[in-house]
Amino acid sequence: MQSKMKESDPILEVENLFASTDNLPILKGVSLTVFPGEIHAIMGRNGCGKSTLSKIIAGHPSYNITNGDIKFSGENINSLEPEERAQSGIFLGFQYPIEIPGVSNLEFLRVSTNARRKFLNKEELDTFDFEELVKEKLELVKMDHAFLSRSVNQGFSGGEKKRNEILQMALLEPKIAILDETDSGLDIDALRIVASGIKKISNAQTGIILITHYQRLLDEIEPNYVHVMADGQIIKTGGSDLALELEKKGYEWTDNFVKET
Amino acid sequence: MEIIEQIKTNKLIDNPTDIQKICLDKLQSRPLPNPKSELWRLSNKSKFSNFLNYSVNEKVRNSDISYPFNSQNIIRITIGDNSQISLVEENYSIQQLSENKVNAYIKEQISCFDQNDNWSDLLNLSLSCTKNILGLKINGSKIPPIEIFSHASSNSLKAKTLVIFLEKNCDIELLQVNLGKENSSLSQSTFFCLEENSSVNHGVVSYGENKSNLLNSLNVIQQKNSEYNLGSLHFKFNYARFEIRIKQATGSAKTNIKGMQITKKDEQISTYTKIDFNGPNGFLDQINKSLADDKSHAIFEGSIIVPKIAQKTDASQLSRNLLLSNLAQIDTKPQLEIIADDVKCKHGATISQLNEEELFYMRTRGITLPEASKLQLSSYFQEIISFIPVSKNRWDLLDKLLNEN
Repeated sequence: MQSKMKESDPILEVENLFASTDNLPILKGVSLTVFPGEIHAIMGRNGCGKSTLSKIIAGHPSYNITNGDIKFSGENINSLEPEERAQSGIFLGFQYPIEIPGVSNLEFLRVSTNARRKFLNKEELDTFDFEELVKEKLELVKMDHAFLSRSVNQGFSGGEKKRNEILQMALLEPKIAILDETDSGLDIDALRIVASGIKKISNAQTGIILITHYQRLLDEIEPNYVHVMADGQIIKTGGSDLALELEKKGYEWTDNFVKET
Repeated sequence: MEIIEQIKTNKLIDNPTDIQKICLDKLQSRPLPNPKSELWRLSNKSKFSNFLNYSVNEKVRNSDISYPFNSQNIIRITIGDNSQISLVEENYSIQQLSENKVNAYIKEQISCFDQNDNWSDLLNLSLSCTKNILGLKINGSKIPPIEIFSHASSNSLKAKTLVIFLEKNCDIELLQVNLGKENSSLSQSTFFCLEENSSVNHGVVSYGENKSNLLNSLNVIQQKNSEYNLGSLHFKFNYARFEIRIKQATGSAKTNIKGMQITKKDEQISTYTKIDFNGPNGFLDQINKSLADDKSHAIFEGSIIVPKIAQKTDASQLSRNLLLSNLAQIDTKPQLEIIADDVKCKHGATISQLNEEELFYMRTRGITLPEASKLQLSSYFQEIISFIPVSKNRWDLLDKLLNEN
């Protein structure tokens, strides 16, 4: 299923990760390896630790890693700041993208893009050059240019916010993108637009982790692996058929699984 | 407090004017404000003493303040400048009031003063010499934006007084700028009278330098169908008080206020507002923001008074505050005093820190923590700054604030 992909080094290795917030353990030994070109889906009940895992990989300061390692391109990133992780190529697409009133979307996107470009030793873009680049990327998610002059996510519908996340992903060209319930709150058309955007952005060098509850996103983007999480652990891993089975049988079906990984 | 001693011994002013005599008489009976009153209880005593420690009779010297380059489209006036103001154009006129008219109006106002509430005005009018009292009568339409300056030079205490009559149906944009140089105190009192159907977008921007102090008092009287919009910003003063008193004299007037004070180091800046609805169908929308960092102290006390006559009043007062350090202090007290029974009034206060989820969101896009904080602060400031007329481009207020923080 994955032998060709594994000829190269992994992009992301999560090794026996334990993490807590306010002394409350959330992750209880998660291991996950993502190679270039792979798409992983993580499914599980609400509160099982899916979003926490994504935030910890992105470096959220509210969580403490109590054991285990996160390696990105072979380097341990446990102690890196969120911005350092982002600049080096980790992208987190938020389940609930944050509104930042008063900060123009265009300026926000430009500052973010330049932070990544600086890391890649690419020339930083001035407003005019950036407008050219962003115009091209807007097409990927079928967003109107007018969104750029509004405040970040303010007054955006749920679908517009998610498209704005994918626009950011397109501009930042990450090595790995973790998309936390990007499909939630999207109607069928918006889901297709978002899924098509993700497919166009991803390539043989990119890894993608999709956190989702629903098969409908996985109908659009077929994962190489599906992981089921429960109580802070990955309890089962399989191919795309695992998601179909979950869709049919519900999470109750997974209650009796023993930890397999 | 050299000045208080001089007031007590009647040695403050040589050859006082009538107004100065009246005010000095009042102050002699009680030279200092009541430290237990709501208006003064949180005022830092040593900083207040420092305000009063500069010499009033300092020799006139050239201005040590640099203003932004003047644009042709803006009418710029400096209080204390000797030039006589008389601008009569086809659509409008701006004329300086005669000394007698200004004095008559001020005397009328003094007769309504409360010794404690108007202590800052009494001090101002005791110190303001004729040259530093400017009265303007404005009427007409399509009036270019106006900028009015007051400043205190280093090692001095300056008092400046401004009286503005806005005639019926008149509509202006006015930016008042109060600047304090290092080791200085500025006392600014403004009296604004809005006739029926007049409208003003009034900006008050006050900023100082190291160890500068400010007592800024604003008294507004609004007649029927007038609209008074105030955007204010006070920052970088060792000690500053902004006292706003607005009276909707006969109701049916609109008042919008968006104000902000920013404190750092061990500064103390406070805003006191009293909005008095004296007739039915009045409207108020007020937001006051404070941002306190380091060991500083920001204070807001707002009072809305709705007597029985003020039925159908619609008033909202919100105090939003950002505390950026564990040692900083914010006191806020929005208050309503309602006697009328058919009104819509609300008030509220929040104190928070920078939003961590917003910061994390920006950091996951590669924006560093200092840059993310700056972006977040700029969005916090933007709501107020965009409400200040004239200033937006020429005064670079946002840059000034962000570079300060």
